[in-house]
Amino acid sequence: MKQKISMMVDGELDEGAAEETFKSLARGGEALNAWRTYHLISDAMRESRLLSRDFAARVADRLSSEPTVLAPGRLARGGERGKWFALSAAASVAAVALVGWLAFAPQPGLDAVPVAQAPQSAPAPVAKQPAIVPLPAAAHDYLLAHQGYSPRVSLQGMAAYVRSVSDEVPAEARK
Amino acid sequence: MTARPAAVAALAAGVLIAVAGLAQAQNEADALGWLRKIHDATQKLSYTGTFVYQQGGRTEASRITRYARADGDIEKLEVLDGAPMEIVRTRDTVKCYLPGSRVVKVDRRSVERGFPALLPGQLSGIAQYYTVSLGETKRVAGFDCQAVALTPKDELRYGYRLCADTNTGMLLKAVTLDSAGQAVEQFTFTQLSIGYVSRDKVRPRHSARAWRVEDTGAAPANLAEAGWSVNVELPGFRKVIELKRRLGESRPAGQLVYSDGLAAVSVFIESLEGRPEPVRPGLASMGAINIYTREVANHVVTVVGEAPAMSVQRLADAVEFRKPQ
Repeated sequence: MKQKISMMVDGELDEGAAEETFKSLARGGEALNAWRTYHLISDAMRESRLLSRDFAARVADRLSSEPTVLAPGRLARGGERGKWFALSAAASVAAVALVGWLAFAPQPGLDAVPVAQAPQSAPAPVAKQPAIVPLPAAAHDYLLAHQGYSPRVSLQGMAAYVRSVSDEVPAEARK
Repeated sequence: MTARPAAVAALAAGVLIAVAGLAQAQNEADALGWLRKIHDATQKLSYTGTFVYQQGGRTEASRITRYARADGDIEKLEVLDGAPMEIVRTRDTVKCYLPGSRVVKVDRRSVERGFPALLPGQLSGIAQYYTVSLGETKRVAGFDCQAVALTPKDELRYGYRLCADTNTGMLLKAVTLDSAGQAVEQFTFTQLSIGYVSRDKVRPRHSARAWRVEDTGAAPANLAEAGWSVNVELPGFRKVIELKRRLGESRPAGQLVYSDGLAAVSVFIESLEGRPEPVRPGLASMGAINIYTREVANHVVTVVGEAPAMSVQRLADAVEFRKPQ
C-alpha cells in the first residue's frame, strides 16, 4: 500500500488504483501518515518551502467553522473560464497537429531495415513466453563451439571466450 | 517585408539541418573507421593484461596475453577466479585446458576457414542494422580511449558501448546493452601493457599429458542433405558456416552459425538416442548469452548466441526436419 501511496504522490497511479488508494487514506491511520510523509519527502526533494506541521489541522479547523453553502451562487468569472477553454482547445489542436506531423514524417532507418516477413509455409509464431530453465549441462561445450565463430573474437580476441565458463560448475558435477 | 525574417529563419533552419545531417554522416564514417581500427589492433598487437568480466551477479578476472608474429599469432586466456580454465589459440587450433576434470578440449580448423574477420563489406552491413556513432573520450586502465556506440535499429540484437585506446585502437572496455539500455554484460581491462611479449607467456601452463583429450573433429557439412532446414526470417543474420562436430566426450552434432556481422547465434542439432538425461525445453540466460532448447523429430535443437531471447527463440522455432527423399 505504501508503494501505491508513493506512486500516487508522484502522479504515477492510474485513476482506478488512485481511487482505491484514496479510500484507504480516508480510513486514516498508517496510510494517511505515509501519505503525509511522502508529501514531505517530495517537497523536500523539490526544495519547496515546508508548510508548518499543523497546517492540515488548522485548515480542517477553519473549514469546519465556515458555514456550509448549499447552493453556491453562479461564479462571476465565467468570461475568464471561457478564455482558458479556448486557449486549451487551441493547444490541443496544436498538439494533435504536431503528433500527426510526427506520425507521418518519414522515419529514419525504417527504409534500410526490411520489415520481417513471415515465411509463406509457416507463419512466424507470435513469441510465446518460453519456460525458463537452468543452463543445459553441456552449456560449456556449446559456448566453446560457438565462440570461435562469433565476430566478437575479431574485435576483442580470446577475451570473448571467457563467457564459456559456465557458472564455474564442471559438467560432471551438475548431475 | 514581414515575411523576410521568417524566410531567413527557415533558410537558417534548413542549413542547420543539412549541416547536422552531414555531421552525422561524418560521425558514422568516423565511428566505422574506429571499428576497423579496433579490429586491426586485435589482429596485430602483442599485449598482456587483466580484464574483469561482469554478468548478472558474477564478476571474474582473467588474464589475456597475445604474442604476435608474422607466421601466425598465439593467444592465451587464463581465468583467474573460480574454477581454473586456460585456453590457448594458435593459428589453426583452440585448446581448452580444464585442470579440475583433467580434460583438454581441442578444436581444429583449417587456416582458410580461420577466425571470423571484419571485412570492409561487413562494416557497411553493420551500419545497416546498427546506428554507429562516436562518443566522448574517457580513461580506462590508464589509457585515453575513444567511445564508440552501436545502437541496434531493431530488437533482434543487442547494443554495444565500446571504448578503445586512442593510440593503438586496442579495445579496453565493451558493454552489451539490452533494449531497455541495461547492461547485460561488461568486459573491462583493469591493467594492460601493449608491446613486447615473450613466447613463454603464451605457453600452456599444463602439459596435459595424462589428460583426456576431447577432439571436436569439426568439419564442413551439409545438414540439408540430412533433412534439416532453417527457414528463418531474422533480418541481418546470414548463415556463415555449417559444420558437423562432436560435443563433449563424443556426442555427434550439427552446427549452423548465423551472424549479423557483430553478434552470432549457433544452432546445434543432436540425436536424442543414447542421451542419458531428459531434454528440458525452454530458455536459459547467462549475461548476453541466451540458450533456447527444444525437441524436433527425436533430436534436441539447442540455439546459443549473444542475441536477445527473441532472436534465439525465433531461430530455434524455425528448425524443421523432413525425411530426405
